[in-house]
Amino acid sequence: MQRREFLKLAGASAAGTVLFAGCTIPQSDLLLQSPALLPEDLLAGYDQWFASVCRQCPAGCGIIVRVMDGRAKKIDGNPVHPLNLGRSCARGQAGVQALYHPDRAPQPLSASGPRGLGRFNRASWEDAGRELMARLRAAQAQPDSVVLVTEPLHGHLGMVVERFVGAYGAQHLTYETLERAPVRAAVKRVFNQDRLPDFDIANAAYVLSFGADFLSTWLSPTQYNREYGLFRQGEAGGQRRPRGTLVQVEPRLSSTGANADAWVPVRPGAEGLLALSIAQVIVSDGLGDRNAAQRMFPTPGALDPFRPDRVASATGVPAERVVQLARDFAARRPALAIGGDSAAAHTNGTLNLTAIFALNYLVGSVGVQGGVRFNPPLPLRELPQTATATSFRDWRAFVERLRTGQPRPVSLLLVHQANPVYGLPTAVGLAGALANVPFIISFSSFVDDTAAYADLVIPDHTYLESWGDYVPDPGPGYPVIGFQQPVVQPFVGSIQFGDLLLRAAQELGGSVAQALPWKSMKEALQASAAELQRLNRGSVRETTPQRFWNAALQRGGWWDAQATVPGAPPAAPQVPTQPAPATFDGDAQQYPLHLLPFPSNALYDGSLAHLPLLQALDDPISTITWATWVEVNPQTAHDLGLIGDQESDVVAVESPFGAVEAVVFVSPSVPPDVVAMPMGQGHRTFTRYATGRGANPLTLVGAREDAETGALAWASTRVRLRKIGRRVRVPIMQGNVSPIQEASWIQIAGPEKA
Amino acid sequence: MPKWGMLVDLDRCSGCRACVAACQIENNVPINTEEIVNQRRGIQWIRIERYWEGTEYPAAKVRNGAMLCQHCRNAPCEPVCPVYATYHNSEGLNTQIYNRCIGTRYCANNDPYNVRFFNYWEPQWPESYYHYLNPDVTVRSKGVMEKCTFCVQRIRRTERQAKREGRALKDGDVQPACVQACPTDALVFGDISDTGSRVSRLAQDKRHFRVLESLGTDPVVFYLKKVDPQHVGDAAKQPAAH
Repeated sequence: MQRREFLKLAGASAAGTVLFAGCTIPQSDLLLQSPALLPEDLLAGYDQWFASVCRQCPAGCGIIVRVMDGRAKKIDGNPVHPLNLGRSCARGQAGVQALYHPDRAPQPLSASGPRGLGRFNRASWEDAGRELMARLRAAQAQPDSVVLVTEPLHGHLGMVVERFVGAYGAQHLTYETLERAPVRAAVKRVFNQDRLPDFDIANAAYVLSFGADFLSTWLSPTQYNREYGLFRQGEAGGQRRPRGTLVQVEPRLSSTGANADAWVPVRPGAEGLLALSIAQVIVSDGLGDRNAAQRMFPTPGALDPFRPDRVASATGVPAERVVQLARDFAARRPALAIGGDSAAAHTNGTLNLTAIFALNYLVGSVGVQGGVRFNPPLPLRELPQTATATSFRDWRAFVERLRTGQPRPVSLLLVHQANPVYGLPTAVGLAGALANVPFIISFSSFVDDTAAYADLVIPDHTYLESWGDYVPDPGPGYPVIGFQQPVVQPFVGSIQFGDLLLRAAQELGGSVAQALPWKSMKEALQASAAELQRLNRGSVRETTPQRFWNAALQRGGWWDAQATVPGAPPAAPQVPTQPAPATFDGDAQQYPLHLLPFPSNALYDGSLAHLPLLQALDDPISTITWATWVEVNPQTAHDLGLIGDQESDVVAVESPFGAVEAVVFVSPSVPPDVVAMPMGQGHRTFTRYATGRGANPLTLVGAREDAETGALAWASTRVRLRKIGRRVRVPIMQGNVSPIQEASWIQIAGPEKA
Repeated sequence: MPKWGMLVDLDRCSGCRACVAACQIENNVPINTEEIVNQRRGIQWIRIERYWEGTEYPAAKVRNGAMLCQHCRNAPCEPVCPVYATYHNSEGLNTQIYNRCIGTRYCANNDPYNVRFFNYWEPQWPESYYHYLNPDVTVRSKGVMEKCTFCVQRIRRTERQAKREGRALKDGDVQPACVQACPTDALVFGDISDTGSRVSRLAQDKRHFRVLESLGTDPVVFYLKKVDPQHVGDAAKQPAAH
């Protein structure tokens, strides 16, 4: 590939963007730089808003981006996108800091030092293109020695990548740090659905959430936050609805737990046991749907071992509390049971979620408003609409292949965006095994922990510079496809990964070229848009494909609110009643504390640690910024002689697999035998803001996996704390300003009178 | 002439901090580096205060509340400024005139809500980040107080647009950045002189209160109480730290 072709691609990629409908300002309001006498004297310049899709996390909310003089200024939620209806989250707001990041890979880079150190020289487009094509051609004789690693992909980029690897014969692995496989497996088993369902929190009267931090990071947090507002204080037909009740079951109080009406601390890994115990009460007391109960638990007495008094010691929840939970859950309809995050991150993760999701059948909450509603497929049959990441189990097998060269060695490793060197537990040994790969090419926009091992970096555009699409999974209960368009010209010398693959396919020729008939991602998108246009239904109806394309870009996508899943929901499944206690790494005597890593409200799984706005965003529980802390129960802290406040002890958190340092945060958010640490920090290489900062709790995790899906069981490790005698000032927002009064100013209303 | 005001429904607020991030991008708030946070000189025009009610596991409860300038109609910060850098405008906004401010910090001293912030340092962004700064909002320099403006630039922009379209402002037209972002719809903004506006109607809810009402500051930020079915009255509440 020649430079001219690269430039043509880069230049063409932003042409043809379409303004967000209804947001233009006439030329008469041209920018005047006010001398700033009063803030209100300022005159506004000419701005334009473009609709696109947020890609900061896998939820895929619609966004509108304010652009002035060719620069993106502000990202807000797209008011017409069904997921978020104009709302956004802190992570989405920070998108402009990714686009204009000072440490973006500015152009192709070639390694200038040992792998892993992230030392690079700028390379020319000619050399980068020649190298890429030469490597791809050389390996064509043994195509299965080429491995492409991406984030889980669906939509058009997913289709392009699948066809490319299929026709070339390469192997495709996908990586996500927070694996959704247990949720998907449990949804498949309980509801027989391939797509994640729509949990209708807005219309539920009672939500029983097992570990799912849905107000912070779980699945589709902005949608869930929006629904949560309605759940608490929504109106229906001009009348206040009764306030919904949220009960959070989890060992560590998450930010969702902090908003709950009640927190039920459960022993780590016993979430499914507790759900079965609740089921036992509902079934034996005849509180729920008897037919569903009969189908789910056909063997008489199958639930007897889960009687609340029999499992109280294993779950840590007193029997009378379980009975009360069961009665409330059965009485307050529609009631919704959801589960994820730490409940899924155990060796019995899928079993836990199966028991939790099954509760919905017992109280008639499947396929109804306020319960679990299903998501129909998008009417584009060829388009992959959901993606499951390669399991941790298969990743371990892959690392073994790298290490031994069996069954055959890897000659060329291509990595797009995914960062497995950061996310996989150190014990797996990916970084070391990469030494056996002759050549590694990264297509990441930033030199992250994995790109640091590359021999060549050909940087991808950020999402604000790219064409694309996103089918939200979970969707809102009907088909949605968000269209992503470049809102600005590329800021650095990057190239859209999909376009690069298409171009490479053309150059390779033969069957690869035949499998990929499009010249660009935009062209592939337009082909699908034309298909949608022919349906003549949904949010955009136009007479010609071109008019449809423009209208869909203006609105940020296409959806059809009428196309909900028809008919009765599938019958309740039989639910396994063989208890499978979670197992843990680390001897209980030597390592007395359960380690609960948790996704960070700001940094997510670590992929956003390079954005200073999010580094500086105070955590909802600890209010700590820029650092890694370990949440320690006050009693445990007292026993170990630790303090954690404005100045805190630094401790070594030690597991059988490693040790990291963290500052102590003394907090009633964890039981005495549990410590919790946020994910997100501890990058060895990831821009000036994240490199060498804090610690990654996943380096402490061993290699246990969910028995069914092989997903990493990241909550299955025990640790101990060792005081190392250092005390530091903590970058904590609590105390940034003095409290405005001695006690909390936040006033509380008691129970509402009926 | 509208009189702007805001409402915070604490029962909707989930403490997600979308408002905090949206405000910082919209208003060119300097990056709160680790060094600055360690000095306890971080700037957040709107912040989420996190209180613990009780200290014992597992009974302790988290209480979140958004705190921002209350734009008091009787603002203690206004009369103490020796150079009239802070004043109350005709639409009820408590406004800071940056190029008048000489940094005495009397206003912050007199501010009971701790929502005024002093620029101890020249604000700094890496050069490439200047591309996203909002051209409608002045970057404040070292030695100057700054604070929430109710996004006056958005108010002006919306007013101008309405004028151009030859119509009056509608309720909900003006949304400060925090309100627009807020995913739970906990923040509501509007004209409190219009009894039919959403903010006026919600402020009549039986859960309404204002913060530090006893000081007589007469804020125009109204709050609705957090609901807790287990709440047993204020007597049981223990002192909490933010």
